[in-house]
Amino acid sequence: MTGATLLRYRAAAVGYGSENVVRQAELSVHAGEVVGLIGPNGAGKSTLLRAVTGDSVLFSGSIELGGRSLSTISTLERAALVGVVPQQVIAEFSFPAREFVEMGRHPHLPRFSRPGPADAAAVERAMALTDTTHLAEKPVDALSGGDLQRLAFAQALATEPSVLLLDEPVSHLDLNHRMQVLDLTRQLADEGMAVLAVFHDLDLAARYADRIAVVAGGALSAAEPPIRIITTDTLRTVFGVRAVVGTDPVTGSVSVTPVLRDGAVAVRDRGRVHVVGGSGVAAPLMRRLVLAGWTVSAGALNAGDADAMLADALGVEYPRIPPFAPMDSASAIHAAQLADKASAIVVCEVPFGHGNVDNLLVAVRAGRPLVLVGDIAGRDFAGGAAQSYWTEALAAGARQVADTDEVLDALAQWDNAVV
Amino acid sequence: MTIRRDIRPGTVIAALGLALLGALLAGIAFGAVPVAPGDIVGALSRALAGRSTGMIDTLVTQVRLPRVVLAAIVGAALAGAGAIYQALFRNPLADPYILGVSSGAGLGAMIALTLTAQTTAVRYGAVPAAAFAGALLTMLLVTRLAAWRGRLDTASLLLAGVAISYTLAALTSFLMVFAREQMAAVVFWMMGGLSAASWPYVAMIAPMFAVGAVLAMAFPRELNLMLLGDERAGHLGVDVKRFKLYALAVASLLTAAAVAVAGLIGFVGLMVPHGVRLLLGPDHRALLPASLLGGATVLVLADLIARVVLAPVEIPVGIVTALIGGPFFVWLLVSGGRSR
Repeated sequence: MTGATLLRYRAAAVGYGSENVVRQAELSVHAGEVVGLIGPNGAGKSTLLRAVTGDSVLFSGSIELGGRSLSTISTLERAALVGVVPQQVIAEFSFPAREFVEMGRHPHLPRFSRPGPADAAAVERAMALTDTTHLAEKPVDALSGGDLQRLAFAQALATEPSVLLLDEPVSHLDLNHRMQVLDLTRQLADEGMAVLAVFHDLDLAARYADRIAVVAGGALSAAEPPIRIITTDTLRTVFGVRAVVGTDPVTGSVSVTPVLRDGAVAVRDRGRVHVVGGSGVAAPLMRRLVLAGWTVSAGALNAGDADAMLADALGVEYPRIPPFAPMDSASAIHAAQLADKASAIVVCEVPFGHGNVDNLLVAVRAGRPLVLVGDIAGRDFAGGAAQSYWTEALAAGARQVADTDEVLDALAQWDNAVV
Repeated sequence: MTIRRDIRPGTVIAALGLALLGALLAGIAFGAVPVAPGDIVGALSRALAGRSTGMIDTLVTQVRLPRVVLAAIVGAALAGAGAIYQALFRNPLADPYILGVSSGAGLGAMIALTLTAQTTAVRYGAVPAAAFAGALLTMLLVTRLAAWRGRLDTASLLLAGVAISYTLAALTSFLMVFAREQMAAVVFWMMGGLSAASWPYVAMIAPMFAVGAVLAMAFPRELNLMLLGDERAGHLGVDVKRFKLYALAVASLLTAAAVAVAGLIGFVGLMVPHGVRLLLGPDHRALLPASLLGGATVLVLADLIARVVLAPVEIPVGIVTALIGGPFFVWLLVSGGRSR
């Protein structure tokens, strides 16, 4: 569904003054698609965007609009081709909103002519699309940041561009207008515009962009579909954040739940803890253990299970078994190896059935200090096996605690870092 | 502030045109010797027919008329230049003085005054030319200085303008030491006055003013876009760097025309565009012509006050505009520039 290449960066080096921010950028944006730029603050997302309008410097390489190099296109001609919605809108003077939007017609108006019916129609359409028609008579210096941002969008649309550059287009917008502007962006792309947009919100980027490129460390990655770009690995290496990357159940697009920042993890090495969980009951504990500086492993978990997704995000090692499948001997052996390396083992308040009771067996027989959370009553669905392992563990000196806080207290005695 | 939707730009411009006409007539009628309206009409019609006779005719056509016409041109030039500066700097406090352009024009005119003899054809040609050269050189110096480290942004422009302005003013004062014989003329000129008005003076600056006014009114949309900031103006098609130089050159031409004949007249370039903006909003398609008419009217009236308030003694018109403009400036500061 995408068409001709309307915007292209070729080996572009961009920056400010004499400082190179991004080097060797390669990117093509086609008619009919939305390409998103993501990356940490200051990585150069806006700098790349702004090079098209000369607001940042193109040091080497080239930027092409519809196959023609920017350097051969006049400012006025470029303004008719490229619509820009900036981060900041200056409105210190009391132009009525309609006149403000009409300024977008400048590239189409000959020097001494006044705006005609075609211009009025373009202005009206732009204001209708951005839901700003009701603001037409209001002076722009009295409007809210959100209204201004949508008027700047309308102003950009009034030029009837073929390429749209959006620099955090929804930063000042409430939930309703955020969706409205992004839905509009989607619609404009579907009608044939080429859109390049800087996103801070990764969920929105994944939902509205056809392809996403990452700007980090002075380089621009290849633009790929969101599912290929927004991964646990990207989030860890680019943003320094461990996050659960899942699928939004409603929109079906990639969704990101940040779990912890690498910078927040305690530096000291407390030792290893093996955690038996499942269905998300162990997630809060695993997160707190990793934050506190423990190296965590887990018993076997089904792929797609909430605990498994968190374990992936945190880099917790565990035997992975297919969704809804029971543990087999290979996963039991793997679990036993992990338990054997740990200085302590924690069994969370997970129900046990025939599929996962081996996790409990491994924990009880590993010969390591054992902490049991809650009571086994009401969660033995393995025909009494779980109950008997539990009793065996208590007889062998396992400590029974009520909740996660008490687990952390109990673990303190096996903490390497405590002198 | 809200925009006065009930006021149409065309109406305001027509009203300002009528006000200017009234001010011109009042300027001719009042003075040390009052002239009745009928005598003005008579004198003008006889002059048009080439049959001027008597003292009243001479007073009207050779003294009062060139004086009000010169005042109108100078006022219009200052207000037009002020409107341009305020747009370029997105600042209602900007005027021809802020960039040092007036001081540059002043220094140029001063040099020409000290080097030429009084009331010669050479002086009529040399003073405005030197004033424009001074204004243009100052503008180039200031913009070059401001752009020293990269972009031509407003803050560096204002800083460079203020610095250059003081330096040039000092040079002008220094030159006065060497111009003893011309001292009276020079001092009066520096205070801002139109007492030397004559048709040759009008002829001297009218072409400069006409060219500057036409060039200024050719780019109202660009000036509007500049109010959205340099970057946004660029997004929407203004070649910002080139347009700034162009607009500064046009404003310098207008400033030089005014400074060459009337010396330093403050506040007209500040007050008039600001007042017009309060009335009409910031659209330069209306703001520029209205400022030109308003500036002309204000200076003709200010000059009338300067002539009659202590008649037969005249005070320099710069003192009148400063007396009105000072409090206005204070009001502008106190109101926080909110009412732009």
